[in-house]
Amino acid sequence: MTTVEAQQRDLMLDQQEVLQETADAPAVKGRRFGVGSIVLLVGVIAAAATFALALARQGQTQPTQGIAPDFALETFSGETVRLSDLRGKVVVINFWASWCGPCRDEAPHLQQAWERYQNSGEVVFMGVAYADNGPRSIAYLEEFGITYLNGPDLGTRISEAYHIQGVPETFIVGRDGEIEQFIYAGVSADSLSQIIDRALAG
Amino acid sequence: MQKMPMPLTAAAALIVLFFVLHGLTTQVAVAQDTGTPPVIPVTDDQVNAIAKTLYCPVCENITLDTCGTAACADWRYEIRLQLEAGRTTEEIREDFVRRFGDRVVGTPLDPVLRALSLALPYAAAVLGLAAAVFVVVRLTRRTDNPATRLAASAVAETAPRTDYADQIERDLAGDRL
Amino acid sequence: MLAEIGVFTTAFALLTALYAIGAALWGERRARAGGREAGREAGREAFTVSARNAVILTFLLLLTGSGSLMVALYTEEYQIAYVWSVTNPQMPMFYRLTALWGSQAGSLLFWTLLMSAFSAAAVTLNWRSQRRLMPYAIVYMMAAVAFFVALVLFVENPFDRWWILEGAPVDSAVVKAALIPAGAVAPSAARLAETANGLNPMLRHFGMAIHPPMLYLGFVGFVIPFAFAMSALASGDLSSNWIKASRRWALIAWLFLSLGLILGGRWAYDVLGWGGYWGWDPVENAAFLPWLVGTALLHSIMIQEKRGMLKTWNMFLVIFTFSAVIFGTFATRSGLVDSVHSFARSEIGFPMFGFWFLLTLSAVALILWRRSRGELRDERHFGGILSRESLFVLNNFVFVALTIAVFWGSFGAPIVSELVMNTNITLGAEYFKSVTPPLFILMYILMGVAPLSAWGVASMPRLGRALLLPALLTLATLALFVAGGTTHLGALFGYGIVLLAGWVALIETVRGMLARQKAHREPVYVSLLSLFARNPRRYGGYLIHLGITVIGIGVIGSTLFQQETQQTLSVGESLNIGGYSLRFDELMAGQISDDGRLMDIALVTVLRDGAEIAHLRPRRDFFPQTEGMNTMTIAGAHSTLENDFYVLLVEWEPINQNSATFKVYINPLINLVWWGSILLIFGTLAAGWKHEVLPARMRQEMRAEEGAAVPTGRLARKGAQ
Repeated sequence: MTTVEAQQRDLMLDQQEVLQETADAPAVKGRRFGVGSIVLLVGVIAAAATFALALARQGQTQPTQGIAPDFALETFSGETVRLSDLRGKVVVINFWASWCGPCRDEAPHLQQAWERYQNSGEVVFMGVAYADNGPRSIAYLEEFGITYLNGPDLGTRISEAYHIQGVPETFIVGRDGEIEQFIYAGVSADSLSQIIDRALAG
Repeated sequence: MQKMPMPLTAAAALIVLFFVLHGLTTQVAVAQDTGTPPVIPVTDDQVNAIAKTLYCPVCENITLDTCGTAACADWRYEIRLQLEAGRTTEEIREDFVRRFGDRVVGTPLDPVLRALSLALPYAAAVLGLAAAVFVVVRLTRRTDNPATRLAASAVAETAPRTDYADQIERDLAGDRL
Repeated sequence: MLAEIGVFTTAFALLTALYAIGAALWGERRARAGGREAGREAGREAFTVSARNAVILTFLLLLTGSGSLMVALYTEEYQIAYVWSVTNPQMPMFYRLTALWGSQAGSLLFWTLLMSAFSAAAVTLNWRSQRRLMPYAIVYMMAAVAFFVALVLFVENPFDRWWILEGAPVDSAVVKAALIPAGAVAPSAARLAETANGLNPMLRHFGMAIHPPMLYLGFVGFVIPFAFAMSALASGDLSSNWIKASRRWALIAWLFLSLGLILGGRWAYDVLGWGGYWGWDPVENAAFLPWLVGTALLHSIMIQEKRGMLKTWNMFLVIFTFSAVIFGTFATRSGLVDSVHSFARSEIGFPMFGFWFLLTLSAVALILWRRSRGELRDERHFGGILSRESLFVLNNFVFVALTIAVFWGSFGAPIVSELVMNTNITLGAEYFKSVTPPLFILMYILMGVAPLSAWGVASMPRLGRALLLPALLTLATLALFVAGGTTHLGALFGYGIVLLAGWVALIETVRGMLARQKAHREPVYVSLLSLFARNPRRYGGYLIHLGITVIGIGVIGSTLFQQETQQTLSVGESLNIGGYSLRFDELMAGQISDDGRLMDIALVTVLRDGAEIAHLRPRRDFFPQTEGMNTMTIAGAHSTLENDFYVLLVEWEPINQNSATFKVYINPLINLVWWGSILLIFGTLAAGWKHEVLPARMRQEMRAEEGAAVPTGRLARKGAQ
């Protein structure tokens, strides 16, 4: 049973008790602070705690440091790539969607940056298509000639783990699996290269 | 470079882009048609019937059939493609849930979440009803204060319904409620 | 200048509100400590009077503050960031003024103003009658007002202005501040006007212009019953005084809340373009929750007034009504849940949450404390299972269960599943349509039965006899429905239950009227008026029930029998739906309106049996200056008693404008929802009307009758014994 379920049950029981006890009243004078009262108070506090947690969580923003949340990306070509399997390499995670205008601006830059590192074997690019339509995503990848790993965000689980607020957003993960940099807006090939170089060096 | 916040991103999908893409997928669809099993004709109404039960994944609490953004138009188009391929309503809904999560349906398909969502209010209601009935029955049986009971019954039971005019007058004169 | 006036008056309002709290507490303390010595009594009086004056001054200061913001909106002071974000030079005057509540900061100020207006009205109007409850009532009202003023001042200040810091680096040169920062200059007026945003297009609708004020009035109005109840608890004066003071205010708040909900529904129907009026969206539900608890309160309060029962329960209802108001405001303004209507996310989440928590917890604790001292004891016991008070308990069960179901669907389940299961879920119309109908059915059954059951004891045979006529009339009406072509069994069952409630309300009114008419030999309308004049609460209540009946029929009809189709037509082609056809005549694309919107208008003709019955202009509006949500679908509707023929322009071919896609809804009986709402509003007005405020002639007549009426009653009672 979840907390809210329990609270609601308690609330019910307490209402019941309130009604009962009010009728009992003439017989007993000056009653104690009953179990029902305590349960009700605890219920109010528990409900509040739940909302406070939800509010705190709602306000959570994109991680900018610490270990990058792990996920498995099922790519459009059918393979499954897990982030934690890529330790030792620098990983660029880019969230995008075919319906997003700024994504189209940055797509050539991402591909250009990828081509710079493609042969080193030290860097992996992962494109995560957020809430996108399959055929549209593929058409978009073809349109921009994108060759790095790309896959849909199934069940929007990856974007939830990274608390993205929109697309495009990009995360650069270092060799140690820690988030090196978070980029809130679109990227350019040069600025991205700089960050990747720094991550490779670090 | 302009950055779009998530709730607005889909909403702001450019009209121009929509038409560009529209042309694009029409071609894709045509290409798919050749060599695949015969396409089942699908009406807008069939698409909307399913879209009505699905929520736009990137907007907030708008069903797909009424959402006006280009992204939604895309998803409706996808429903159409799936219907043309002979998929059932349930299969399409499951596919959307697989891709966008349980929030795209009005009640989660996941059995645990579904049970939690639906059973709890019923359980609460049944419990509450039982509590209310119990209270009423219990309080009614009490006879520890005969005076008030008598007074109550005197007002209610002794005024015969036939003497209605009189009752109305009495109500209006003093007993205001 | 305007911004300065605004900031300073608001800051002073915070001080006066805090002063009112202090003065009221001090006055009360001295009164308690000092006993009945004449001098001290006067001292206490002086402090309480001073507190009252501070309440009124707070209102006047906030009025000046809001007034200055309104003037700023009117005179296009784009340097004020709020004005810049909600208006632009193209906007018509009317929407420029209503932009006061068009976005978070302004609407928060407006909300605070309304709350202080209610407080000022309550201290003025109830000053004499509720003298003993006043000091603590002032404390609680002003605590709420002070909290919101503080939010306006420190978190969401609508008077913040744009400034340019000279010599600062480009990315930090533009700052937002209420007062001029050192070394800052104002940005150029032309540049500001050019970049101004303009009001969210969705809000440029007449319904939207008046819906928020109504809703806010409904929300903040509940602060008064809350303050009186808390005052009763705090002062220990737990007689029925607080109920007398609270009931009318609760009814007024309920009236505005109902109006707000109805107007919101109408706005959604006209503007949101999905053929419906209620989408079970979390924000709609957030406004529905206090309505549900408030409705339970308005019923349950009668039991306490008449029979001195359910005292603790009523306290809980008052407090949870206001708690629901604050929760709803918090949930929708903090972005706790996502919704089409919600405000942009902001910093006010945690402060509002803290306020809600403190308020609810302290109120609940106070009730429990008084109860543990045996001070909320009931004076009577239940008369019987079919007695009216038992049925009222059931009524309260229905409303509380509805509250829980709606709360769980909109807030509970999504939050719990996110926290515990780490999954985002939506509980949409599907959920609400499966959970709420049993409760609504029970509500209508109670509405039919409860008014017939007497206070105290009622017996089954008597109840049966009383139900006979309404039941027969209901069957007769159902026969009409069947003759009209309704064969859906579920619908007939629903209509039956709803109609029974309506017939009971109607018959009870007519019987009362006829009885009076017979006794006094007066014209029918005089009898009817005097019924309402003499017992406005009962007959106003019946009128509300009648309104709810009419709404119920509209809801059943428009939900179960809605038809829709979507088709693409070339010019001259027609589509058929439900006995109607729709012909596409012409598309007029790219029409430019005064406020800068681009309109694509389709001209269509509605035909029935080949005869043209209406020309409609469904359209799509596009707002090129606005970022984000910048298109709007405006339906064309042809309304009749039978149904609405509702057309939306979905898409069209942009090049040659030869074909367009239309979505057509036929919404049967939907207008009953609006008409029922009007009945409901009139009923509420009647029920809240002060008895004394009557035309002089009627008062005279009543006085003449009083002498005749009372003895009859007494005689009858004697005769029966």
